[in-house]
Amino acid sequence: MYVQRLWLRHVRSHTEVELELSPGVNLFEGPNGVGKTNLVESIAFIGSLRSFRGAPTEALVQAGAAAATIRAEVVEDGRVHLFESELPARGRVRVQVNRNRLQRRRDLLEVVQTTVFGPDDLELVKGGPGLRRALLDDAVVQVRPADELVVGDWERALRQRNSFLKQAGPAAARRGLDEAGAATLEVWDAKAVELGGAIHELRRRMVERLSPFVADAYDRVAGRPSEVRLRLVPGWSGGDLASALVSARPDDLRRGVSTVGPHRDELLVELDGLAARTHSSQGEQRCLALALRLGVHQFVTEARDAPPILILDDVFSELDGDRSRALVGALPAGQTFVTSAVGAPDGVRPDAVFRLDHDGGVVRAE
Amino acid sequence: MAEVAFAAAVQDLIDALGRLPGVGPKSAQRIAFHLLKADAEESSRLAAAILAAKERVGFCEVCFNLSEEARCEICSDDRRDGHVVCVVEEPRDVVAIERTREFRGRYHVLQGAIDHLQGVGPEQLRIRELLARVTAEQVTEVIICTNPNLEGEATALFLTKMLDVPGLVVSRIANGLPVGGDLEYADELTLGRALEGRRVVAGPAPAE
Repeated sequence: MYVQRLWLRHVRSHTEVELELSPGVNLFEGPNGVGKTNLVESIAFIGSLRSFRGAPTEALVQAGAAAATIRAEVVEDGRVHLFESELPARGRVRVQVNRNRLQRRRDLLEVVQTTVFGPDDLELVKGGPGLRRALLDDAVVQVRPADELVVGDWERALRQRNSFLKQAGPAAARRGLDEAGAATLEVWDAKAVELGGAIHELRRRMVERLSPFVADAYDRVAGRPSEVRLRLVPGWSGGDLASALVSARPDDLRRGVSTVGPHRDELLVELDGLAARTHSSQGEQRCLALALRLGVHQFVTEARDAPPILILDDVFSELDGDRSRALVGALPAGQTFVTSAVGAPDGVRPDAVFRLDHDGGVVRAE
Repeated sequence: MAEVAFAAAVQDLIDALGRLPGVGPKSAQRIAFHLLKADAEESSRLAAAILAAKERVGFCEVCFNLSEEARCEICSDDRRDGHVVCVVEEPRDVVAIERTREFRGRYHVLQGAIDHLQGVGPEQLRIRELLARVTAEQVTEVIICTNPNLEGEATALFLTKMLDVPGLVVSRIANGLPVGGDLEYADELTLGRALEGRRVVAGPAPAE
């Protein structure tokens, strides 16, 4: 799959852009602050309908504009799909694929997928467990878009349970639950076991299948054989989730929140037997973060028999020449977007180079 | 960039329309301009229709469906089987099931589903009234027809727990495939549920 043409209107710093893209390696270069990341953010939006910078979609709308428009022609398996989206400054995002309104995000994932390497990826190793759970959940949905339903329903069930605990919990912690309250909590416990159990199992299987890919990616990027282990630690202890929920009930009621469950799952990354988050050096952590992304990318490529569109946003500025070359050498051949302030990074041979300037111009260099 | 504002009365109308379900800001504007352009009579008719409906229509005292009388048409129809009660979320679900002409029992409208995020717990629904009906009207079967989404399923599960009455049959509407459609176009979840809820058509029953 690849994006062959991209049109942007009023997207962040870009008033109007039309680009013809290469199915190979595309390099966006220019000084800081000219909107290189905004371009790749738009490309990633096509595959995810969200900003990889974690910004709300309204943030993509140029200041003063009523709406941003992102349009693209995506070629998948020889067929051209027209993707069109309108992001209003206020209100819901509207998406059309081939002039039909997109009903479900997962239908889009059948056509286009993206992998994003960003400058903040170091947080994958150093930061909180939420980012690592999101990495797993995204990989699950990339391989089987239908599982997005399980992810979505689980998140909603958890919010319902928490909302109930918040409303009824403190009073119930003092006086006990009435019959209806007890039945309501049992209902949400049952849903948590059904959906939370399913999501934990999906994550567990994903960790199992992903591990060899991440270990292999680490060896390549670090340039030395090491032992990388991924382990999923359940967000509850003492046997099955159902009995853990029962044991946690007094705590949950008193604190008005679900204290145990898959929303507390932790993906432990270990390097040579030690927890990477606390024991690895900055350089090792950077390689591990790259290896996690690269491992998911390789795994999805193999599972779907086609590489997702790859976005490398300002990744190389933090890597030395050897590691740059190792990373590039390990990437599967597919459409790739690279942003850089100072020309092509080591090992990258772009098929198309686009120069950006401060006046908002994007020019393809011949 | 300063926006050109509408006259206050126009903006009030747009805001009021925009608060209606399913009407976004753009549609609210379109409807408002339409009303302002059209004859005054059209607005009067619409206003009168809203007021009349609001005045005349209330909820049935038995099943909580919309009704112009204290007791709705279905609840006062002697030909309907009062021993079977179909539980739905909204009045529109009654209309949907009535269109099938398959169901000859009575209804009970919960007026929503359990949704704590919207501040709706079981006590905000007509569940107490349902439990009272089951004993008072010698109901033999309750069919739970809440929506097949998270909140609807949670409500169904809650009802199942509360309807633990000796001799009472509690059933849940089945998950299946749309009739007249193609198997290949069904979404995976529906297809998966339909497989799970398959029916034996020949041979011995499968082992439990």
